[in-house]
Amino acid sequence: MATYDNKVWLLKNIREAFIATDDTGLCDIVMAGEDFSKIFQNKALEEKKKLKEVSLYQPSTSKIKEQGSDTNEEREIVTQFDAYPDIEDSEEDDLICGSYIRHEDFLPHRQRSNTTQWLDKKEQALKKAAKIKVIKWEDAPTQLTAEQMAETFVKMDIKKQEKKKSLLAEQLEQCPDLPHRQYLEYAKFDGTAQLGLPIKSFKIFMTMLPEKHQNYPLVVCVIASAKIKDLIGFTCYKYSIEHPEISLGSVHDYGICIAEDDGEVDLAFPCLDANEPCSKFGFTCLGLIDLKSKIVFDRATSSIPDCSVLSGAFHVFPKASDSGQSHHNTSRHNTGGSSTSEAVRSAIKAVNEEKRAGGLNLDKIQAHIIATEAPQCKVYKVHMLRKVRTNTSVQLVVSLDRIEVEPLITHKHAFWSRSKYFLHSIDSVAWCQILESKANKTTFRIVYSPSHNAAFNDRTTGNSNFFHPNTTYKFHDFECDHDTAKEIVEKINTILDLRNSPCRREYKTAKDKKLQTRRSFHVKHVS
Amino acid sequence: MSGDGSGGVSSGTQVALVTGGYDHTIKLWQAHSGVCLRTMQHPDSQVNDLEITPNGQMVAACGYQHIRMYDLASANPDPVMNFEAISKNVSRVGFQENGQWMYTGGEDCTARIWDLRAGRPFQCQRIFQVPAPVNAVVLHPDQSQIMVGGQSGIIHMWDLKTDHNEQLIPEAEASIQDIAIDPEGKMMAAVNNKGNCYVWSLGGSPPRPVPRKHLQAHKKYALRCKFSPDSTMLVTTSGDCSARVWRTSDWSLLRELRHDTQRWVWDAAFSIDSRYLFTGSSDSYARLWDLEKGTLEREYCGHQKPITALAFRDQAV
Repeated sequence: MATYDNKVWLLKNIREAFIATDDTGLCDIVMAGEDFSKIFQNKALEEKKKLKEVSLYQPSTSKIKEQGSDTNEEREIVTQFDAYPDIEDSEEDDLICGSYIRHEDFLPHRQRSNTTQWLDKKEQALKKAAKIKVIKWEDAPTQLTAEQMAETFVKMDIKKQEKKKSLLAEQLEQCPDLPHRQYLEYAKFDGTAQLGLPIKSFKIFMTMLPEKHQNYPLVVCVIASAKIKDLIGFTCYKYSIEHPEISLGSVHDYGICIAEDDGEVDLAFPCLDANEPCSKFGFTCLGLIDLKSKIVFDRATSSIPDCSVLSGAFHVFPKASDSGQSHHNTSRHNTGGSSTSEAVRSAIKAVNEEKRAGGLNLDKIQAHIIATEAPQCKVYKVHMLRKVRTNTSVQLVVSLDRIEVEPLITHKHAFWSRSKYFLHSIDSVAWCQILESKANKTTFRIVYSPSHNAAFNDRTTGNSNFFHPNTTYKFHDFECDHDTAKEIVEKINTILDLRNSPCRREYKTAKDKKLQTRRSFHVKHVS
Repeated sequence: MSGDGSGGVSSGTQVALVTGGYDHTIKLWQAHSGVCLRTMQHPDSQVNDLEITPNGQMVAACGYQHIRMYDLASANPDPVMNFEAISKNVSRVGFQENGQWMYTGGEDCTARIWDLRAGRPFQCQRIFQVPAPVNAVVLHPDQSQIMVGGQSGIIHMWDLKTDHNEQLIPEAEASIQDIAIDPEGKMMAAVNNKGNCYVWSLGGSPPRPVPRKHLQAHKKYALRCKFSPDSTMLVTTSGDCSARVWRTSDWSLLRELRHDTQRWVWDAAFSIDSRYLFTGSSDSYARLWDLEKGTLEREYCGHQKPITALAFRDQAV
């Protein structure tokens, strides 16, 4: 491997760097005949030859002293010129591979530098420029003769213009209004071949179309400043050009959701905000969905908590490890268009009906009471569970907009057991569920996100804090008797569903995703 | 969008609409459907003028210090030829009808002839110096004279064979924005920055311009004028957000082409049957108008910024 103390290598690389970074090409011209690394190499070869000759023709040892100095000199020259035996190999290397990328070898802490990228770009530009024929203006060296002038500037006879039929007119007749015209205004968000404008590419699955049209995602490239609604419009535009036989609806009927690589759309997750620019989102796989069926679906999912409140059956979480299986997940595998959500709806209806048939009127009334009472502020006395210390008795205040945890015990002298006062905005609370039911106690957990407490304070920024890929969640565990625990959990869940805060949605998505990966992993293993 | 559309310009014999402007791109459109087939890149400069070569294979775009030629048949977004070593903006480009040479005019106060013939014993590069920046250059249909107009308000009629030149000054203190000569070589029109249009007859031999008509074509800055292929119409475009089509028989107004969102109309081109007209506007849309019905037929959307130049090549059937 080459090293920086190798003169020839250094020369070669400096030369290449000059040539590669000079887009005027001047360096190349100036240094065309002066590749010192090659010159040195040739010199080295010559010297070697000389040396050989010397040793051949002067084998005698009689003039040792005289010759010895010569040889020493030659040896010196040889080492001077022949410093890099692999130079021929390295010449085979690509310019970039041969030199610049090696920085990585030497400086592993430095990632591929801006300079390297810039050099790459320059080289590409050079390659591009090589394909363009450049014609520079040159003033004519000599005056043209009259014949030459006459030859070049012949006066032409003007033909009488006869009436012609236009191919354009014919094509216009054959091509009446095209479906893409309604999306024409979105054509300007096309990101292909834009110069100097940041662009974004997405794979979009047309999930609102019948299944046979969903096999391949449409690859669209838009300018990064395009909003999600523009992306929807441009997708419709592009799709209708490629598939004029399929008629799409109004862009206002569609929404964009995050999708998996295989085109599966997570409908439990809300559509991307239509007014946000595409550049904000890191996802590349998206699904275009019909908002009408999405609404149906949303209604369907939101009716499930009601069911759970009705029977309480969905609320049994026997083990914490199963906590991913929230009641919302029962339907989340239904991905696509209206037909599936219709199926879900009927299933839910059936479930509801079944329960009604069971005649759980008392529970129904109870649920109603919980629902109506949920927004009211209520104070509970519970025990807060701690990992290392003893459980402390706290006062849990649940209201429509906050959850307070206030310590009740007054061990003021014992600092280790002193518990803190907590106040969480309800929009920072992501989850609440029963963990375990023991003989006479039930433990339940409230999951919250500290970062959303801050987000809550500047809610004017809209959904700008919507996607925190690395949001951390913390939790408090409490313990109390069965009925109180059930009441608290139901109350909090009702409020959470009512608020449906970004924090909660995000938590749910994260949870679903986790579950999803676990499931797909499992499937992979099985298959 | 890829250029593999079935209606793509493949052999230089098809219909081609090309637009360019401030967003440093040049777009090739399928004229009848309004679909953008290809986008080409025109780095570092707006596009001042576009012209399709006589054989229909390339489009020339002129901008700041360059004239670039793009291959219409390939999917290459970069130019294939780059004419350079000009110090300022090139405002107009055009071709001799056999494609032997190209003419340009620009802000360096010159009009130039570029010899395009390859492998010739002599190259014929010619330069014509005028006292002010050149806004308009047009070749007489007999291919022997070039009209050069510019900031000074003078129209120079440059005889290419004899180098002789004549001058016309239609209006004092107004710059010539564009010059047009009808395909039969009988009329010449020029528009200026006051919105006035002057028309001369070019009958007789040698063609002497005889003032024929003065039109108050627009109230504001005029940008372009062009005769229809059948010489029955003259279109003038302007900064008043309209294009106006005039009958050459009596110089009455035939159509005023306006649209709610249309802004400055920078360029226009007729179809070969003189029935349709394309316009390009600052609202970044190009439009196709049916001049018989006076209706807007198509809109071409895709540019990010104003369209300042367009070129159209039609095919006779």
